[in-house]
Amino acid sequence: MRLTAIWKSGKVYIILLVGLIVLSVVGWRSMGQQSFVRTALSGLTLGALYFMVAAGLTIIFGLMDVLNFAHGAMFMIGAYAGWQFYTNPTFLFGLAPLVLALVAGIVVTPLIQPLAIRWAVPVRWQRTLRTATIIIAIVLVVVGLLGLDVRGLAKTAMVATMVDPLAEATPQEPLAAFWRRPALFLLAGLLIALAQARPGDRTQVVRRSAARRSIAALLGFALLTAVATLTRESAAIAVLKMNADVRFFLSLAAGALIGAAIGGAIEISLVRPLYVRPTFLILATMGLSFVLRELTQLLWDPLPYAMSRPPLFSQPGKAASILEWFSKHTLTVEIMGVTFPSYRLFIIALGLAMFVLLMIVMNYSRLGMTIRAGVQDRDMVEALGINVRRVFTLVFALGAGLAALGGIGAAPFAPVEPVMGDRFQMQGFITVVIGGMGSYSGAAIGALLLGLARAFGDFLALKFSLTPAVSEASTVIIMALVLLLRPAGLFGKKE
Amino acid sequence: MASHSNPPKRIAVVDAALQSLKRSRGPLLVLVALILFPFVFARITGTSVNEGPAKYWQGQLIAVFIMAIFAMSYDLLLGYSGILTFGHAAFFGGGAYTMALFLAHVAPRLVKTYRVSLPGGLDITEPSVFLLAILLVVGVSLALGLLFSIVSVRVKGVYFAIITLAVAEAIHILSKATDFVKWTGADEGLHGVPVPAWINPTQYRLRFYFIALAFAVVMYWLARRIVNSPTGRIFVALRENESRARMIGYNPALFRTIAFVVSALIAGLAGALFAVWTVSATPSMTSAVTTVNALIMTILGGMGTLVGPMLGAAVLEFFGQFLYQWFGARWPLVFGIIFIVLVMFLPYGIVGTWRLRSAQWKRRWALRKQPAAAQD
Repeated sequence: MRLTAIWKSGKVYIILLVGLIVLSVVGWRSMGQQSFVRTALSGLTLGALYFMVAAGLTIIFGLMDVLNFAHGAMFMIGAYAGWQFYTNPTFLFGLAPLVLALVAGIVVTPLIQPLAIRWAVPVRWQRTLRTATIIIAIVLVVVGLLGLDVRGLAKTAMVATMVDPLAEATPQEPLAAFWRRPALFLLAGLLIALAQARPGDRTQVVRRSAARRSIAALLGFALLTAVATLTRESAAIAVLKMNADVRFFLSLAAGALIGAAIGGAIEISLVRPLYVRPTFLILATMGLSFVLRELTQLLWDPLPYAMSRPPLFSQPGKAASILEWFSKHTLTVEIMGVTFPSYRLFIIALGLAMFVLLMIVMNYSRLGMTIRAGVQDRDMVEALGINVRRVFTLVFALGAGLAALGGIGAAPFAPVEPVMGDRFQMQGFITVVIGGMGSYSGAAIGALLLGLARAFGDFLALKFSLTPAVSEASTVIIMALVLLLRPAGLFGKKE
Repeated sequence: MASHSNPPKRIAVVDAALQSLKRSRGPLLVLVALILFPFVFARITGTSVNEGPAKYWQGQLIAVFIMAIFAMSYDLLLGYSGILTFGHAAFFGGGAYTMALFLAHVAPRLVKTYRVSLPGGLDITEPSVFLLAILLVVGVSLALGLLFSIVSVRVKGVYFAIITLAVAEAIHILSKATDFVKWTGADEGLHGVPVPAWINPTQYRLRFYFIALAFAVVMYWLARRIVNSPTGRIFVALRENESRARMIGYNPALFRTIAFVVSALIAGLAGALFAVWTVSATPSMTSAVTTVNALIMTILGGMGTLVGPMLGAAVLEFFGQFLYQWFGARWPLVFGIIFIVLVMFLPYGIVGTWRLRSAQWKRRWALRKQPAAAQD
């Protein structure tokens, strides 16, 4: 009886496990130890990267039914942000005051809402007023950017040589000329807040507690803006003077945070109004990925860049084992007779860490509980009085942050280029479909399968003197096979 | 008196023809304008029909015709049948590659070995080989359409959209794989495909212009016949409510297959013509960008209308040029922003919004004529 129960609950796991063991025994026998271990490790590296893209994608879809076509763009943005932060953060620190000022303006919405809705605006003019306010805000933003050499700032990291960090520091616009930009952005943010408050619309519910929090947020962001404005140059220099390893881990955090912030902003501005029209939602995220890709091409030219590896993974020599690597920080590590780059092992570790982190968040936190419940039955969660809108924003930010973390993790290993997002997005989609939408463990297993299949496919292609393109195309066959057997993926919810 | 009560039948037929002419007045006017365009344009600029700006603008319009038909075939799926697919470039590229591969590798050998002539002694080898190429394109398009629809029977919704994307991507990767460089030219694509001399777009630009125009007209007519037929109504019914349509007794799988096959056929023929027009087949024709272009044209012009995507194609082709002049190589950025704004605020596209608004205006106008009715 118990055996049948185990079989029923873990059928998919058992079949996959047995299949993988059989295949690896066959592979070990026919390929020999060296090439088998090397191929398997490359497969794991690829799988880790795929998982980083697919994890966010699958949660976002499971909870909100949003097929996020801009997810690959988040991966790319993470890579660019981390690369910029690591190589020369002048660009990020140069633009930070503007973004912070804009946010400082937007957060006052709950504060001005009680006043705004009492404003006697005739119903027929309310919409026009909101549109006009937004347009003025956009004009202010454009005026605020006029004359600012954004492309020049972006180019700073491209010429970085990493020999003398202080030589990389680029002089910024003097404060006397710069101060009006954050001021204009603050004004634009306030106007957007006004439009968000829906002046004249008496149907809006006003919450007093939100107003109090909004004052704190306004003061906090205003302070941050001031600090960021004053430390535009010194912060960049301080970061560049840091130990390169510390800077690398900081850049991981910076990439993930920037990705999460952009993800949240996308959810609020672009995705939220379109939940009622799912097809258009897909189209909007698609357009967004297009815009983001073009934007990076505009700022950094459509060329691939190689981010240098931190010293932690680039000391010359070879460590005899992983333990020895911890003291020597060498470029390569020997594992079971195979010399393997240590940074790739770090990617595998990062993917594993992300999986564990996600598992903890999903199983032991309130947010995770809400997400799991929402994947099961969204209406019920809403009916229980949980602010689903905020959860959606959080989940979108979380997913984007995961993808961005994957991006910066991949940056020292894969070329940083505008199309990197699309390439990983395609694989991420296939991973999600194999694993089943909405299941993060499905995404992990899908990523593992896909990564191994790619690696061994490349090996076979090489053996039969074909190009890797054939093995790349053949991942579609795996997807087709899985879907023919289980139309909702391995762990997907059944319709 | 007798003739009044019993009007001759012939007049009724003429009447019906006149009525249908009146109804399709707009499209006919556009058609006449397009037929006259090369001559009028040449007269205005004072150049010959076959050179200079006249030739250039004919070329622009040829591209518009082909892309318009491609976008229209996409709308048959997205707008009418409510099937979101990202694999439409596979049909277009499939048609283009079939045509180019056949013309480049098979046709010369056929022409060398076989001779086809009419009983009168007229040699028609080249036209019949070209006809064979078109038939081959039709076959490949049908096969691809069937392949996609087989998948669509089993997998639904978002899964299906992703699968189409993945299959199209696989085809794209294969089209630029270096393994087949001998046939497909890999990354470079096939260039300088030996198209039959009588259809050569550089030599006989005006002739090709009319061929493309005729192609567009025939395909539009075909699509319109299908959309207005009972079958087309069932497409719409499936889009609106699949379970209800199934309950009435229509097999969704069958009608989805029909929609796919027709759409694939039209897209494949458009691709084949595009291959002849550019005398090449490149991996960009199978890439996701091609699908996205069709998507943008459809959204821009209006989903669920046949004229909309064609108008969208025209706008995109012409505005693309101007945007390129104004913003340089990064014009897609501006275009992407416009696209997002369209999706957010103008979801029915140009034609769809126009139809909505004009209906509103007409109603308001009618109300104004009857002040009593306007009171409530």
